[in-house]
Amino acid sequence: MAWQPSAGELAIETRGLTRTFPSGRAVDDLTFDVRRGEVLALLGPNGAGKTTTIRMLNGVLAPDAGTARVAGLDPVAAGDEVRRRTGVLTENAGLDERLTARENLAFAARIRGLPTGVAAERAGVLLERFGMAADADRQVTGFSTGQRKRVALARALLHDPEVLFLDEPTSGLDPAATRDVVAHIGALASEHGRTVILCTHFLGEAGKLADRMAVLHHGRLEAFGTPEDLAADLWSGLAADLDLGTTAGPDVRARIERVAGVHEVHPTVDGAALLVRDREVLPEVVAALVQAGVRVYASTPRPPTLEDVYFELEARRAAPPPAPHEGAAA
Amino acid sequence: MSIAAPELAPGLGTAPRRRRERFDAIRAVVAKDLTAVRRSKAVVLPMLLVPVLLLIVLPLVIGLMASNSPAVSVEDFLGRLPAGVADPITSLPREEQMVVLINGYLLAPLFLIVPLMISAVLAADAFAGEKERKTLESLLHLPMPDRDLFLAKLITAFLPALAVSWIGFLCFATVANTVAWPVMHRLFLPTKLWMVMILWVAPAVAALGLGVMVRVSARARTAQEANQLGGAVILPLIFLAMGQATGLLLVDLPVAFAIGAGLWALALWLIARGARRFTRDSLAAKV
Ligand SMILES: Nc1ncnc2c1ncn2[C@@H]1O[C@H](COP(=O)(O)OP(=O)(O)O)[C@@H](O)[C@H]1O
Ligand SMILES: [Mg+2]
Repeated sequence: MAWQPSAGELAIETRGLTRTFPSGRAVDDLTFDVRRGEVLALLGPNGAGKTTTIRMLNGVLAPDAGTARVAGLDPVAAGDEVRRRTGVLTENAGLDERLTARENLAFAARIRGLPTGVAAERAGVLLERFGMAADADRQVTGFSTGQRKRVALARALLHDPEVLFLDEPTSGLDPAATRDVVAHIGALASEHGRTVILCTHFLGEAGKLADRMAVLHHGRLEAFGTPEDLAADLWSGLAADLDLGTTAGPDVRARIERVAGVHEVHPTVDGAALLVRDREVLPEVVAALVQAGVRVYASTPRPPTLEDVYFELEARRAAPPPAPHEGAAA
Repeated sequence: MSIAAPELAPGLGTAPRRRRERFDAIRAVVAKDLTAVRRSKAVVLPMLLVPVLLLIVLPLVIGLMASNSPAVSVEDFLGRLPAGVADPITSLPREEQMVVLINGYLLAPLFLIVPLMISAVLAADAFAGEKERKTLESLLHLPMPDRDLFLAKLITAFLPALAVSWIGFLCFATVANTVAWPVMHRLFLPTKLWMVMILWVAPAVAALGLGVMVRVSARARTAQEANQLGGAVILPLIFLAMGQATGLLLVDLPVAFAIGAGLWALALWLIARGARRFTRDSLAAKV
């Protein structure tokens, strides 16, 4: 591990972080903690305040109110010290088009005070790792969005940062490039306890990569926690799929509904989707169906995904209470 | 694949970066910007063309014309100037008067276009261009004090402006002296006035171009927009200077010094204001 871990369990703490622009409040009273070595997804639609949050955490924008600590330091008072411990992949890669990939990396390394030899070696390793070795000495002008992201990712990692901010790392990428970048990020996240903040509005990648999620909407923290925790707050009960080989007809559904502990039954192409009190209800359902002569191929509990949680939050926002869940610091 | 990041010792969170490291970072920005500029023809071409025209082609043509028709009289022109002002020229032999008047005096204010233009074009590229190319945000996420970044951008524009002006003047003096040799039989450049122009007024003009562009770039979204806005401020200055050229530059040296001092004061005031507004927060809020 190269960087000296700063004291404490938390990589990032924010308390009431707020920033207003002439156009309105971009980040509103944000309070959350990120543990060291954790991957946190900052989720929210465009304009939710994700980029503004990152800028405040890295001391680029000053908050109007509230405080933050990143790697144990205050970004307002010690911005450069924070920035030496963090790496950022900005939304548009922000490479100088007129320089080569390698020159872009060398420039960042010089600003960061890395010794030239070390920087060159490390740039080579990172460009190789992200599949850019063959293009390392080409000017960035001709690069695709995916190539740019990979070079910018290499640049963000040059100094082995303690905290990595990734702002929409897959926006503008085709599916293959997206899978590629997500795989790289997945590998980075598990690497010697680096903390990663992943801003995205793509739920798929957040679900694959993140330990916890913070849902932002109009600058406010709407939910914070693991998908499982959030699901437990949102729903009582467990979703499950029944594979019956064919859509469940009305009489089959009626039979399922009569089993104690079944809350909801919806037909699907090959059976039914259920909402039940808990796992113990499922064998009862299967038994009831078998008894009635219905063939049951499989019964699979389906813990809610991050997507389920996110869309449920969105649905509840559209059609307000039961009291929206307030996010809280861990 | 681990390397030790320098100076990440725990507990040294707010320790100032060593002076040499800050200096290195400034040099890195200047070197990066100039490398990038060298690779963009749209910026380099006018920066070479204008000095070549003004400082080589023009004195060559004028010198050749003057040497080939030494009998043309400039006495009418000189006679209209206030007494005393034209003395250094009227006291010369007649055949020397025209070439000294034009290459020694009248071209001097035109020469100032070179430092002005180069510092303005480079400053637009360094300040507004960074926004236009969308590289500003990633730059702001690097560990470099606002002040150092500002300083680096100033140097990026100022040093080449001076370098081109001075090299350009050497070319100009060589050409002017060479073509005038058949008439003059001596080296007449640099004159004292030219020395003041080169060492005092030209840097002031470069700084002024810088000051204007720093101000204008805060509003512009692209380098071109900055150049247009800046041109709207700078061009009237050029015409004013050229209009005043004869009256102004044939006057004695103390006045030239004073004009240089005035330009310096204005330039430094503009730059100081620019520096105060050049903060990460205000830059990021405009990204
Ligand atoms: N520099 C700025 N000036 C004015 N408004 C801004 C600025 N940056 C962000 N905003 C506004 O703040 C809100 C949050 O923006 P942002 O943090 O970029 O959201 P996200 O990254 O989640 O898309 C948006 O409404 C945006 O228009
Ligand atoms: Mg954003």
